[in-house]
Amino acid sequence: MSNTEQKYGRHIVQYPADVSMCAGCGTCEAVCGLIHDGVTSPSIKRIFLVRDTTMTEDMHKIYSCQHCVDHPCYNACRRKDSAMCLDEETGIVYVNQENCIGCRQCWKACPFEPKRIAFNLDKPRKALKCDLCRTRPEGPACVEYCQVSCIGLSDQPMPGKEEKNE
Amino acid sequence: MNKIYGYVGKIARINLTDSTVTEVSTFNYVPKYIGGRGVCNKIFWDEVGPGVKAFDPENKLIFMTGPTTSTGIPTGGRSTMCSISPNNLPEQYCWSGIGGWFGTMVKFAGYDGFIIEGKAPEPTYIFIDDGKITFHSAKELWGMLVHQTQKKLEEILGKDVNSIVIGPAGENLVRNASITTSNDSVAAKAGFGAVFGSKNLKAISVRGTGKVQAGNVEKILKLHKTMGKPIGKTNPIQYKDSFAPRPHINFPVPGGVKEGRVACSYGCNQHCNLILLDVKAGIGGNEKGRTNVVNKCVGIYAYQMIEDSGWTPQMSFNTPQNDYAGCRFISGDGFTPDLSDPAINEGFLDRQLGDIVNYWDGDYDRGNVINDLCTQYGIDRWDVIIWYMSWLAMAKKEGVLDDIDFGLGMEIDPSSEEFMKRFLEMIVYRKGYYGNIFAEGMARAIRTLGMEKYGKTIYTGRVSQRTGNQQIIPISLESAWGHCCHWAGRGFQGSNDITCWLPIAIELMTSTRDAQTNTHHHDSFDYYLEVRNDPCHNPRVASSTIFNEHCAELKESLMSCEFQLPQIFDKDIESEMFEAATGIKMTHEEIYLAAERIKNLFRAILIRNNGRTRDMEVNEVYPILTYPDADGRTVSWEDFNHLVDMYYEQRGWDKKTGWPTRETYERLGLEEVADELEAIGKLPEK
Repeated sequence: MSNTEQKYGRHIVQYPADVSMCAGCGTCEAVCGLIHDGVTSPSIKRIFLVRDTTMTEDMHKIYSCQHCVDHPCYNACRRKDSAMCLDEETGIVYVNQENCIGCRQCWKACPFEPKRIAFNLDKPRKALKCDLCRTRPEGPACVEYCQVSCIGLSDQPMPGKEEKNE
Repeated sequence: MNKIYGYVGKIARINLTDSTVTEVSTFNYVPKYIGGRGVCNKIFWDEVGPGVKAFDPENKLIFMTGPTTSTGIPTGGRSTMCSISPNNLPEQYCWSGIGGWFGTMVKFAGYDGFIIEGKAPEPTYIFIDDGKITFHSAKELWGMLVHQTQKKLEEILGKDVNSIVIGPAGENLVRNASITTSNDSVAAKAGFGAVFGSKNLKAISVRGTGKVQAGNVEKILKLHKTMGKPIGKTNPIQYKDSFAPRPHINFPVPGGVKEGRVACSYGCNQHCNLILLDVKAGIGGNEKGRTNVVNKCVGIYAYQMIEDSGWTPQMSFNTPQNDYAGCRFISGDGFTPDLSDPAINEGFLDRQLGDIVNYWDGDYDRGNVINDLCTQYGIDRWDVIIWYMSWLAMAKKEGVLDDIDFGLGMEIDPSSEEFMKRFLEMIVYRKGYYGNIFAEGMARAIRTLGMEKYGKTIYTGRVSQRTGNQQIIPISLESAWGHCCHWAGRGFQGSNDITCWLPIAIELMTSTRDAQTNTHHHDSFDYYLEVRNDPCHNPRVASSTIFNEHCAELKESLMSCEFQLPQIFDKDIESEMFEAATGIKMTHEEIYLAAERIKNLFRAILIRNNGRTRDMEVNEVYPILTYPDADGRTVSWEDFNHLVDMYYEQRGWDKKTGWPTRETYERLGLEEVADELEAIGKLPEK
């Protein structure tokens, strides 16, 4: 088992550009909002496309929750097990929005930059975080609907390759 | 009516003269006019009368999204702008489509679109920030190139802001100036960048964090699976040792080519944009003078133009077994055909070679430099590459430039990167006598220089590969309305045959600009087989033209793109997209009736504001058809007019004047339009 797998659980990865370059269409963000909330919005998403058309090959970057094994966001939640919850079987940390008070402690605890937790348009704004579409039999919608298969799951092989995504 | 999803409900009226903003309800116009261009037409009809010129403060520029925009429906991320075009000859009401993320953000900011009115007293940019619209001095931005401007606005307003901007060409009222998004998508052909410039408007920026609720999420998800075939095809960066974006463009590149495909707008599933990575910049670029260049259809011709593009019936026509969306074959991203299709035995895949034109040889750096300069200056690549450059190449070889000195300090040579840099700088900054002439666009420049010599001279270096004969085509390459040939059977992309270019001529005739950015002609292959021998006397050519025109209206009203629609054997696709966005069910017939309404309102504007008649438009479009196509075919005046008769008749337009009848307007719910036209004597006599 690699260090990456020890530190992070199953998560969404962006493939290198020579496997498939993100076209920047934003379908991942759109279907995330549609599947979870029935709307599209830059504020309502759990996967984050950062577009950049400057001189880099990986022009458009896609970020989402890495599902840290030590789940600092869950640990920091003031309503732990009520708002931020842990699925013991899969290790997925997910948000029960009804009970979220928007205190942003989870956001502060997220070790990544950019942060992998967003806040919706409710008052107060409630946390949104990737749960790998855990109740969806087809798995993560962003992966299923990506027009160019530039994202996938970390425990699945990359398109055209045998090895897992790292 | 129940709630209409897909729209956010407001259109902003932004007055630059007095820096005021008011709001108009979108529901004054929809669902009757769908959105996009349909709504633009209605607003323009209501608000801008005859006599207004493109650069007058009284001219309005209307920007609209469609119901699919921001919903995640594939290809719905595009937007449209309408105004009086300075790049038309004569100036007329016109449209221009644009991709990018800007339109999507406008909707997330709470507006379905906006109307730009008046003229700012000094260089200005507008900031739309989640429902709040403010005006800011653009003195610091004025003079900046497009990428500089985008970057500066990000620095001022934040990385989460999206902008449409003009470059020096727009500021200097160059008639074919473009408006550019952050991902180098442009509204270019109509020259609306110069309308921005005339209003002292450098840029519009938007931050949108709100939400859009579509009518049917399940349907949207289904469309994702059915519209972008095949979903999930990977998009690896390709490393190549030659540049070969089409079968007829292919040359080795020392150092290699790095390319990929990128989306033009939110929800795009077509990825027709070819991005070339780490290439020589025309101006600016990184510390090594390198940049990335995005190419659509026309940009690739800056790299090499020895041979005109070829054509296969498959590019325009479909069979049930080989049924592809829109213009996939033109994007160079086609599918492997089903070879069991019996149509193949009837010529479905037969490649018809384009003419040899011998304009310029393959040069990767020159192509990238020219494309980058066009982007950075904010000038229409089409006019630069297909018109200025081709004209320079032909005119030089025919000797008509021998007594001209542009004052650029070097020999006229469009195949020279350095010459083109100097030539474009001369135009964009209106330097000297010739800079001012060419900044007026080719159509006007040719007339100023002298049409007989600089427009009508025949280029003798062009040879048809189909007939073996020298082709007769004037160096002007002009088709109609101040635009140059495009899928016209002769001139540029002139290899489609008469089954294709003839309806395109009618589409151009009723337009005010080159219509091939949204009306590449499509139909079923049996149309091709049926009409090819005598198209001018076959009513199916007229009905096919009308079908394609309605598809074009829907593409830019619903919001979709030329690469997606039409889908010949899925005629309900537009209804499905509309229902997915709005929740409103419309049959194929109902949504095409809306398209017909939009087309007839466009027609009414041209009749009232620009004096459009049959004589005007037939005389405008016919002359280029007298030159032989790649197969040596022309069309006679009588035959062409016979086809026009059939077309007008099917449209419900008077054959003598070309004006829609009262019955036609009333059938389309445009009684008030008929009344107004009748009052000014522009309804046909009964």
